[in-house]
Amino acid sequence: MNTAQRVLAAGLSLALLPSATLADESTRVALVPGGPHPYFAAWEQAGADAAKDFGLGSADYRVPQKWELGLQNQMLESLVTQGYNAFLVFPGDPVGTVAIANELAETGAPVMALAGCLKDPSEAVFCMGTDTGNSAYLGTKELLKQLGDGAKIVHFTGFLVDPNTQLRIDAVAKAAAEGGAEVIQVIADIDAPEPAEEKINAYLAAHVDEVDGIVTTAWVPAVVASNALRKIGDKRIVMVGIDHDEVVIQAIKDGFVHGTMLQNPYGQGYIGSFVADRLRSGCTVKADAPFKSNALTDKFIDSGTVFAGANDVDNYVGSMQSITKVLFDEFESTYLDC
Amino acid sequence: MSDTSQDRAPEGDDSQTRPSAMGGPLRFLLSNEFGLIVLVLLFGILFSTLSPAFLSKFSLYALGRTSAVNIMIGFSMMVVIITGGLNLSVGAIGVGAAMFGGWLMQAFGMPWVPGVIGGLAMGAALGALNGVIIVRSGLHSFIITLATMSIFFGVMIYLTRAESYREISPAFTSYGRMKILGVISPLLLVTFAVAIMLSVLFRFTALGREMLVAGANARAAEISGIRVNRMITYCHMLSGILAGVAGLMLVSRTGAAIPSMAGQLGQDWLLPAFLGPVLGGTLLTGGRLSVLGTLLGSFLVTMLTTGLLLMQVGAFWIQTYLGLLLLAAVLIDLARRSYLERRKLL
Repeated sequence: MNTAQRVLAAGLSLALLPSATLADESTRVALVPGGPHPYFAAWEQAGADAAKDFGLGSADYRVPQKWELGLQNQMLESLVTQGYNAFLVFPGDPVGTVAIANELAETGAPVMALAGCLKDPSEAVFCMGTDTGNSAYLGTKELLKQLGDGAKIVHFTGFLVDPNTQLRIDAVAKAAAEGGAEVIQVIADIDAPEPAEEKINAYLAAHVDEVDGIVTTAWVPAVVASNALRKIGDKRIVMVGIDHDEVVIQAIKDGFVHGTMLQNPYGQGYIGSFVADRLRSGCTVKADAPFKSNALTDKFIDSGTVFAGANDVDNYVGSMQSITKVLFDEFESTYLDC
Repeated sequence: MSDTSQDRAPEGDDSQTRPSAMGGPLRFLLSNEFGLIVLVLLFGILFSTLSPAFLSKFSLYALGRTSAVNIMIGFSMMVVIITGGLNLSVGAIGVGAAMFGGWLMQAFGMPWVPGVIGGLAMGAALGALNGVIIVRSGLHSFIITLATMSIFFGVMIYLTRAESYREISPAFTSYGRMKILGVISPLLLVTFAVAIMLSVLFRFTALGREMLVAGANARAAEISGIRVNRMITYCHMLSGILAGVAGLMLVSRTGAAIPSMAGQLGQDWLLPAFLGPVLGGTLLTGGRLSVLGTLLGSFLVTMLTTGLLLMQVGAFWIQTYLGLLLLAAVLIDLARRSYLERRKLL
């Protein structure tokens, strides 16, 4: 956990209002991402803070050692055997994880999809994450504010097997079309260091003069593209990244990147752990809860996204705190019957 | 299920060097398969002692279901290894076959039987294509299947736009979640049935024996009148069918045909594909296989992973521990063989 995340964690722990007296110490929450990825690192502290603040038995971050659907399924089965009774899961696949989520729910455990959704129908009580399409759309709009008509932009994004990637590609294309810009290249399947380094650097080496702007909608491409622009040293190309990696934040401060679309992984893990315990304590999800819809589910809760430019980047922790606090304060009354 | 050997390499043909008086049961006790059974039992006792939940119904059911698929993946590699080659595209073929079967069921509303047959036919076709390219080009299967892995997966992603097929027959998907006696997955029964069929093929049929001979010594096989190229193509086709079975088992288990079921390019299947046959005693140089050994080897690897997860070994240490345990398993087996050789029992 980097300094900023520690500050965020500490700040949230102090700011949010725990209700430990209502908690069930037998609640054991497992927070399970699809595999190792820096985006999920904040879940570990979020779980630990939630366990402490709400008096849970535990809220542990359990990471499959690689991105493999079968391995994640195997780990979830193992966690049931180990006695975990609430699950916050980033689906290894929005469809492929439905079966295991349903099996977990059959054991009586509340299951929530975090950071990514399961495709309806599923037994997950809801999905809480970033509205990925909207984030990509807003990020592109921010980029185009800096560029004139006819700008040529490139889009670096995540894995094609993730349907969110197609949503991001469509959203960027839509924003570009509305803004009179042209997406001259989409490079996908690069949300890992090796392919990102290879493809982004090769592309920019060959086409740097043809590119006016860059939008990235996945963590690793944002980091690699930030580094590439720093190496090139030309601040002519305008870039909007995603997430809060130190490399991206520093590149914004130094003027190599225009800004970034922040997401809220800490809030997802913290609030998700709280909700898991409330559901185990007898609360239910309101029948008329004001869920949003996205391409995968009609039970979607936006965990928040916000643009942080050069003027906001020093206080991006505060921005995310505000979003999380608002979501937390209103969550129980908005979504739960207790 | 049995160890099936042929006559190319005397050092690899256990039956020629064993004492002639050695009976069937004793021969089995000295086999690689028996060594694996001992290891499975040892690790089973270890894990159940350290974590009693290992023997819970849920745990055993999950272990059996996961093993069923991993063993099938091991089989799909095994039948190519006997030719002295390998098939890096097992994952891509398996996913391709599963997606095609899922597409037939969703787009045409096909019942699951013709849908599954269609999926297996796609697996056979992709496998046969591998075989034909390999024998026509004369290039090693490593190169060809490395290329087709990307081609098959890329075409699948292009055609499906990475979307899943969910409208699968409920009869088919309920099979993957069914529990027999609360513990046994029907998928495991499918795997056992396929294992028996493979044993019969390679032990009792001329076709199976010709496949083995072609893999052991192509020139000698040609002289004997065996059409080696055809046998290699058949082996790849069989590999494609078995990969398709594994893919369709996952469809039944997850209730949908999903492009990511074997990871990027199908690479998630490569480790289980190799570990099972290699631990089980299938010769990488070809000509010798062990269906039972592959079954046990794949089961051992799955059991080790499950046991380590249950023991809450740190997530990033699991691969290390898995590697160490596998190394220990192989060394223990080596020690057993050395002991038997010193006693002139092998």
